[in-house]
Amino acid sequence: MAVFPSIEWFDEVREVFNTHPEYHGAGGGACETTFGVRVGQRMFRLTMEGLECISADEIGEQQHETLDFYLDLDPDEWQEMLENIRDHGGADLDHSLNTLDLELDEGLARSTGDQYRQDLFFRYNQTLQHFFDASARIRTEF
Amino acid sequence: MSETRKRRGLQRRIDKIDAENIDYPTPSLAWMGRTHQWGTRVKPGNKGLTLSSLNVGHYGEIPEFWEDQTRMPRGSVAGPGGVPPIGYSVRAKHELWADCAGDLYEEAIQRRWAPTTDVPWATIEPLPEVVERAMCQLCTELCQHANVEIETITSWQQELSYGYHEVKMFLATETFDAARHFEVFRKRALCNGGGLGVESQGRVNRMILENRGGWTEAMAVLQLLRGTLTHTIYRHGMSFAHNDAEAIIFGKCLEDKSRHLAYGLDHLKYAINHQSDQALILEQVLGIGERHLVRELRDPPFRESLAIIFGGGIEGARTHGMARYQHLMGDFVRQYLDWSDWLGLRRREFVAPELKAFLEK
Amino acid sequence: MNAAESVETFDLDLGWLDQMGEWGTRAEPGKQGLTLADIQLGSYGDVPAHSDNLTGRPRGAGKRADGFRVGGYEVRDKQDIWLDNAAMIYEEAVNRQWSSATDVPWETIRPLPDDVEQAQCELATLLTEVEFVAGDVPARWVAATTPDYFEPRMTLLAQIMDESRHMDVFRKRALANGGGLLQRTGGTAGVVGSIDMSRDFTEMSSRLHISGEGAVLSIFRMGELMAYNEAEKIAYRLCAQDEARHVAFGVMHLRYIADTAPERKEEIHCYLDESERALLAGQQNPAAQQTPVSEALAILLGGGKDQFDDGYRKLLAIRRRQVKEYMQRVKSAGFGERFENGRANPELKTYAQL
Repeated sequence: MAVFPSIEWFDEVREVFNTHPEYHGAGGGACETTFGVRVGQRMFRLTMEGLECISADEIGEQQHETLDFYLDLDPDEWQEMLENIRDHGGADLDHSLNTLDLELDEGLARSTGDQYRQDLFFRYNQTLQHFFDASARIRTEF
Repeated sequence: MSETRKRRGLQRRIDKIDAENIDYPTPSLAWMGRTHQWGTRVKPGNKGLTLSSLNVGHYGEIPEFWEDQTRMPRGSVAGPGGVPPIGYSVRAKHELWADCAGDLYEEAIQRRWAPTTDVPWATIEPLPEVVERAMCQLCTELCQHANVEIETITSWQQELSYGYHEVKMFLATETFDAARHFEVFRKRALCNGGGLGVESQGRVNRMILENRGGWTEAMAVLQLLRGTLTHTIYRHGMSFAHNDAEAIIFGKCLEDKSRHLAYGLDHLKYAINHQSDQALILEQVLGIGERHLVRELRDPPFRESLAIIFGGGIEGARTHGMARYQHLMGDFVRQYLDWSDWLGLRRREFVAPELKAFLEK
Repeated sequence: MNAAESVETFDLDLGWLDQMGEWGTRAEPGKQGLTLADIQLGSYGDVPAHSDNLTGRPRGAGKRADGFRVGGYEVRDKQDIWLDNAAMIYEEAVNRQWSSATDVPWETIRPLPDDVEQAQCELATLLTEVEFVAGDVPARWVAATTPDYFEPRMTLLAQIMDESRHMDVFRKRALANGGGLLQRTGGTAGVVGSIDMSRDFTEMSSRLHISGEGAVLSIFRMGELMAYNEAEKIAYRLCAQDEARHVAFGVMHLRYIADTAPERKEEIHCYLDESERALLAGQQNPAAQQTPVSEALAILLGGGKDQFDDGYRKLLAIRRRQVKEYMQRVKSAGFGERFENGRANPELKTYAQL
């Protein structure tokens, strides 16, 4: 069982996401972005290339500029979102990335300084949702 | 979580709005109930919820003439007048309609493909140089076929009125298909040690683009005349493909082109059946088009590139390669005449003699 | 007569073999397949600053002296239409197509209270009406642009396809749940819409892609907040992805203009002045105040006409987000000075400070 957040956890989700074709169609598809997942003070960097998430690593603040955008939640908020995904097989209406982005103070997707790059959050929204929905298929420890 | 934080986030913004003492409007709700038909509940079938399935009751009434000059969706309420016109020029059903357009639109989406990833490019192996040159020349020609299709349809799109949205939407798929064809033949020309060939002189391209008198006339030369030729090349392309990549390219393009022809032929049939003079006009237009095509066929690059591909080289091109080219052209003319017969157009009797000669091959 | 004697021999004129384009090009497929970026090799990747191509010749093909001038292209200067990543956006569009017939789970739609269904249908009527503005208008510019700039042309063709699907999915939504289409707004007609009337591609793009599509993108994103079932949620989300590509086209084209044609900046600012007026008050922006559609949005966000005020406050709060995103995009495109020098509509800045 992988612990969230950790590189191992992201690697397990990547494996599920990359090997299940249902996450690559239906509005998903090729995706080219490097984005961050911020959990409290920790920042993980995920790189999407074509139909796959090809890497996950943890980065320091000086590497934030390598990110197109990052998703920012507190650890308990991530836990609630991932538990919702686990319970429903995918995010429900209140826990999708886009809904959280609209409703949360300052949003979920944060800019690293360029709105064009931040807009990739919208351009690849279904793929990003598929990626986190894939976590329903692994066992997560918080 | 997020419940707390969501409330906090939204509430913070809403509080700021409250603090501004904004004067909230009382909704008029005057738009409520303004409908021609309420209670419509179309259910998805085994192909999902399709465009054509929406044509029920009032929403399925497709008028013979579309008076409205705005983007009013068919079946919605016009409301008070005074909306400035956009200026659509094609407003009669017989000028653009085809019953199959809605279904073809859905089919195009279901059968979408991507040249980048759906063609096994790695299966392409080096060919003898002259054969590669011939393939590249053919690809250049087919890029231009796609280009003219794009330019013809996009120059008309804004002229086609909103009441016949199925046609406008199908044409969006056709130009998207044509973009893919432009892309895939360019890629094929540039991936195997070759390059693009020489441009066409453009006689037929010019004739298609200059057919601005009416959409139906443009469709006759774009779809029935040029489209049938392109379709025939794709059919033969599947047989002369040197590798899996080329087989898939021609196969996918053939499927797309078949849809384009289906719309074109269905529309021509509709136009001929609903406009007394239409068949005579189209016979004139096609007669002119055939003569341009005949002159273009005298130009060596198109004919000889196919002959080299069929013959496997220059020597083979002089004999059985050219014979197979003539066979291809015979297939084209037969198909063109068969479809013309189906449409009730007297081309079998009056087709340009140089084209008719291919029937003997 | 034996078989050999029966074979007819033809004369060939092979002069065209010496008239072809640059030879020896061997693009290799990468991990993503064979992309347009992979074939930008040698002369085939050279995009001319001005195109003298009037014959419809594919870029890099051999030119012939007797070719007919069939193009009549209005757009033959690179700066008038170019953006650096058009090929990438096009490939992305091809790869991320979806079907409104089968990718939207229509079976999840359940009957809604009549006021909510009417609001949903009012919004669907508006979106059915406005979406193909962005089909008709780009189409005209595709036909008017030299094929030497085929990358932006193909991206626009992908946009036309997307808009067609959007027109289709909202018509489907209006007719799938016991409702129907309501009254058209007329907000996109003729000079009212102004996008139709643009006489310059960049003028059109700044209105269509930056302000128009940016506003609609916000509505689509908002769609998830006011979705009452999985079908609506998915439809809005997938439309938002498409719309974000169209906005990206506009941002990157304006950025190209800002970098390569600074003498046009003042002119572009004038277009943005007009766009901002429409963004705050016009019919083109579905979330603008006091239109039938803004009433419908408030009902959807509030949960019914009895909760109109709640929904309206929520709508205003979200509109501010929309305005903020617009401003960030204009900055990203290289025109951010308008927010510093007092040129932009002051109301925008007020919103941004919230």
